[in-house]
Amino acid sequence: MTTEFPLLAARGLTKAYRRHRIEVPVLNGLDLSVMPGEFLCIVGASGSGKSTLLHLLGTLDQPDQGTILFDGERIDNVSIRRRDQLRNQSFGFIFQFYHLLPELTALENVLMPRLIQASVFGWLWKQREYRRQAMELLDLVGLGERIHHRPREMSGGEMQRAAIARALMSKPRILFADEPTGNLDEERGGEIVQLLRMLNRQEGLTIIMVTHNMELVSPTDRVVRLVKGRVEGASPTRGLNSIEPRSGVPLRKAL
Amino acid sequence: MYQLLLCWRYLRTRYLAMVCIVSVMLGVATLIVVNSVMGGFSTKLRERLHGLLSDVVLEAYDPVYGFAHPEHKMAVIRSDPFLNERIEAMAPTLEIFAMIQFSYGQSDLARPVRLIGIEPESRSRVGGFAEFLVLNKNQAKFELTPEARQYNEMRNRFKPAMQPTPIAFESVDGKPPPDQPPSREFVPECAILGYAISHYRADNPDEHGNHDVRLLQPGDDVILTTISGHGLKPCNARFAVCDYFRSEMSEYDSNYVFVPLEYLQKLRTMEGRVTSIQIRLKDGVTDRAAVVQRLKQLFQGGVQVLTWEDKQGALLAAISIEKGILNILLFLIIAVAGFGILAIFSMIVVEKTRDIGIMKALGASNGGILKIFLGYGLLLGLLGAALGTVLGVSITVYINEIEHFLAHATGQEIFPRKVYYFDKIPTDIRAWQVALVNLGSVAIAVLFSVLPALRASLLHPVRALRYE
Repeated sequence: MTTEFPLLAARGLTKAYRRHRIEVPVLNGLDLSVMPGEFLCIVGASGSGKSTLLHLLGTLDQPDQGTILFDGERIDNVSIRRRDQLRNQSFGFIFQFYHLLPELTALENVLMPRLIQASVFGWLWKQREYRRQAMELLDLVGLGERIHHRPREMSGGEMQRAAIARALMSKPRILFADEPTGNLDEERGGEIVQLLRMLNRQEGLTIIMVTHNMELVSPTDRVVRLVKGRVEGASPTRGLNSIEPRSGVPLRKAL
Repeated sequence: MYQLLLCWRYLRTRYLAMVCIVSVMLGVATLIVVNSVMGGFSTKLRERLHGLLSDVVLEAYDPVYGFAHPEHKMAVIRSDPFLNERIEAMAPTLEIFAMIQFSYGQSDLARPVRLIGIEPESRSRVGGFAEFLVLNKNQAKFELTPEARQYNEMRNRFKPAMQPTPIAFESVDGKPPPDQPPSREFVPECAILGYAISHYRADNPDEHGNHDVRLLQPGDDVILTTISGHGLKPCNARFAVCDYFRSEMSEYDSNYVFVPLEYLQKLRTMEGRVTSIQIRLKDGVTDRAAVVQRLKQLFQGGVQVLTWEDKQGALLAAISIEKGILNILLFLIIAVAGFGILAIFSMIVVEKTRDIGIMKALGASNGGILKIFLGYGLLLGLLGAALGTVLGVSITVYINEIEHFLAHATGQEIFPRKVYYFDKIPTDIRAWQVALVNLGSVAIAVLFSVLPALRASLLHPVRALRYE
């Protein structure tokens, strides 16, 4: 395990937002490593920078300072094109508000990453295969009967399942989940997390989940707690513990 | 690929976008209808003008005295091989202003006209004459039908004042008076009147649905007064109406009176003189300019050489300028539609901000997002243009029926046939014009969607995702 290379590594991440000429720091030199197959929970109070961290790791945004390595490749300052490609093919996202496209059916929403990837001819060529994959994924998340339903015809839990199927469509290496249960009741939220855990265990999918609900965190997860833009408990010295093996705080103590 | 899918879905789910389509459609339809109707007017007018006017005219500089020996000039032209090859027919013509007088009911009417002396055969060969005659179409002759002649005679019998009573001479020296000279009955020459001189258009049709009321029957007398070529003294003569000239060009129909050339020359005491020679070129002769040049060389400035376009140049130019200006103004309609697209697209982009963020999170590139909205604009433009073309062409094709219906519904005549003497609104749909209008409107639709599309494509994914 220790010889294993981290799949995703961040060093000295700094990010600040400018609001009315006042700089609001969000992340202050954060270091983080994610090993392949890990289920990493990022917890912290509102405003502690959890979502920002997730956006930076997922190349949706760029850090002011610091580097991010994905599978040994530096991804924080690569071209927009490469970042689009990474999000399309290597990363999967699920969000608190599901973010399905309202005009499309469940099946079409799941197909979206492939649609974005493919040219018109490529699509016509591989359409059958993609559709089969998408149906399988919808079966996997338990929406096999609802492939032609629009988001507005589905419940919150169903929408989130569809979103998970969409995130899995392009066979990502990392799944980013931003408060995936934040908008669901306890029972549905539990089901979603169970689904994620099953994917983590059975498919070996690396999952990074941001949440403020400690109920969802299991003892087998690695937990990283963000406080004021840093990983709590980590040494403020930058660079030294850039690759920290399992440095998360044990969960129950943290609570 | 996803761009196509989304464009299609946005089109089907956004009813706001229908407004864009309708505005483009209306603009395109208006442009097509206006262009086709104006084109129709202009084509019809050109056709008629050209039908009426001969291709080339040799015209005297002096419109009163004209020039002598037209047959000599025609022989000169015929002897030129270049011209002989290209000229179909020639007709000498004597044209002069005149006044026409006639009685209708109790009143005497008089109006100015253009009196034209022609030889029916040669004038018919030049064209623009015999085919417009009402009674003897394509058989121009100055002759009354037997019924008309009878009618004329009968009328004149009841007008003894018009005929001088013979004076009875008394015998002076017992010898019988000499025999009276054999009285020769006066037979009036015939005249062909412009249709609008001899008819007027009533506002209400009669029981046959006919608007035209005939003022002068065939065989009715008219008196034409003009000036003689000898000291510009007035001279007049009585003519019998034998036919009507109806070209449907009100300017001609309300002015022209045709009489026999030889008689007019005698009346004006200018035998052998004419004011112009009308020339018709053979079909398919394209080097009209060369013909004109050659004629000018031949006569060395003794006469004017004009083409029919020279004679009506101002009118034709006015029509084309009018059409050009109208087109510019009407394109503004499509520009207004373009601003509509701009506004509605901006709204759609705001509404779709989160979706744009989602697509970016899923790896859609800026260019890809740009393409969605440009494609959407293109789709709206194409649809609007296609519907507009269908609407515009249908309106143009059925414009007379529509006019009829509207006139009936509102009780207002929209297309006063009195003015144009057209029975129908003429139209002329040109494929290239329709294509140009379509192209222009689609281009405007795309152009105005560039700005919102750019805004959409440059949205920051995180800010777009957080947008509520």
